[in-house]
Amino acid sequence: MMQLLYLDPGSGSYLIQVIIAAVLGVIFYFKSGWNWIKSFFVKTPPKTEEEKNESTD
Amino acid sequence: MSQPINHHPASFRDPSGFIYEKDGTFYRFVAADYRQDYDLLMKSGLAEELLKKRLLLPFTELSENHTGRADWYKSLQPQQLPFISYAWEWSFEQLKDAALSTLNICRLALQKGMILKDATPTNIQLVDGRYKMIDTLSFETYNEGESWIAYRQFCECFLNPLLIAVHTGMEVHKLMLSYPDGVPAAVTSGLLPFKTKLNASVYLHVHLQAKMGAKQSVEQKQTARKITRKNIDQILQNLHSLITNLSLPAKATTWNNYYSETILSETYFSEKKKLVSSLLESIEYNSVLDLGANEGEFSLLCKNEAMVISTDFDSDCINRLYKRIKEEKRTNIYPVVIDLTYPSPSLGWMNNERPAFFKRTTADVCMALALIHHLAIAKNITFEQLAAFFASVCKVLIIEFVPKNDPKVAGMLQWRKDIFGNYNEDLFEQAFSQLFELEKKMSVQGSERTMYVYRKK
Repeated sequence: MMQLLYLDPGSGSYLIQVIIAAVLGVIFYFKSGWNWIKSFFVKTPPKTEEEKNESTD
Repeated sequence: MSQPINHHPASFRDPSGFIYEKDGTFYRFVAADYRQDYDLLMKSGLAEELLKKRLLLPFTELSENHTGRADWYKSLQPQQLPFISYAWEWSFEQLKDAALSTLNICRLALQKGMILKDATPTNIQLVDGRYKMIDTLSFETYNEGESWIAYRQFCECFLNPLLIAVHTGMEVHKLMLSYPDGVPAAVTSGLLPFKTKLNASVYLHVHLQAKMGAKQSVEQKQTARKITRKNIDQILQNLHSLITNLSLPAKATTWNNYYSETILSETYFSEKKKLVSSLLESIEYNSVLDLGANEGEFSLLCKNEAMVISTDFDSDCINRLYKRIKEEKRTNIYPVVIDLTYPSPSLGWMNNERPAFFKRTTADVCMALALIHHLAIAKNITFEQLAAFFASVCKVLIIEFVPKNDPKVAGMLQWRKDIFGNYNEDLFEQAFSQLFELEKKMSVQGSERTMYVYRKK
């Protein structure tokens, strides 16, 4: 644990990101399937110009 | 020959460039080393998009090299910031919005082939009513297969303090003061209740990270699997939705019922508002410091053109004020959590990087409404000390004197020995007249209180 203190804050997080990415990959896979089914039943209102600017999408 | 420049003491960690001050204006030096990344930021359309979405501090390119350095590539003149605050002065919603801005910026960068190389609240400031990236040099080229270098820093500086605040009731500004570089995963994991282990996102970003951090050796573990850009985007999206759904549990604090359930009459409140409005109209000012602002009712009376710094020691009040200015789009108000008896100290390398609150805060007008008894009686600060303090932060002082027979003061003295024989209007005026010229004095209707307008001698 002490050795870690000499490391750059960014290092050592590769492995955890690989694991998180793998888990999220599975979740997103099922979610997108679910959203695809849901899109047949639910209508989403279009965004206003301001909302478009304030979000990343 | 170049003019003398002053290198900003907080700008030395990044070899890509630094901030300097020349003739009262702040500039950014972009080093030749950063050329490729800077060109990508500009040519990919990322800078333009971030500016359009109000996520990046606007800047203009200058072709002049003020520094005379050989490794110069560009000089930038950013929009000048009227006021800088730090995460140890922010309420929950403020840190949350700064976190969401950081994630939005990083996702947009990723779409244009770039990524944030650091993710700290010091790179994000409230400018024109929105938390924006102020460090133009935080972007670097993203190469497929790389992880997000700032991931751990993001978790420690944003996600962890927010989670601790939600689940334990600790305030984010106090956490950030204890951990200016962010709260480590192991500390966070220890503080969060067991039920958070059942939330997949919290488990992955906090508990698993804490577990792995403790076991990991110094050598980077070799993994067969490579991270893709899509993976990083999913991590960013996941962090975004996790943080968006975080909110503080509702609770009653000392002050959040101050106006609604207070023993003070409604007449007093509306009369005081009228009085303060008319006083503000009679003064010329560009900046206001509202001390003990509560939920900012009186800060909101200031004109839109003036910069208003609203402070209170109660983070819930500042949280509500922040939400309100966001809704009402009052972009001139800067809410900060400050305990006047323990204002933020100078921090960072040689105490120079992050100046103490009162080293970066002065104003034309200071408002100290229903404040003096909290300092003089609850904290035993003398009138002479108070006068000297106010004289050091403003030119004009609007101060309300709360006498001993006021129900609030009576309540404060109910359970303690009255050692405040010197607490009266005459001695108050005497102390303040040493340093200030009295301009106006009037009583506040619906109370025994008196309002003074003083001008510094």
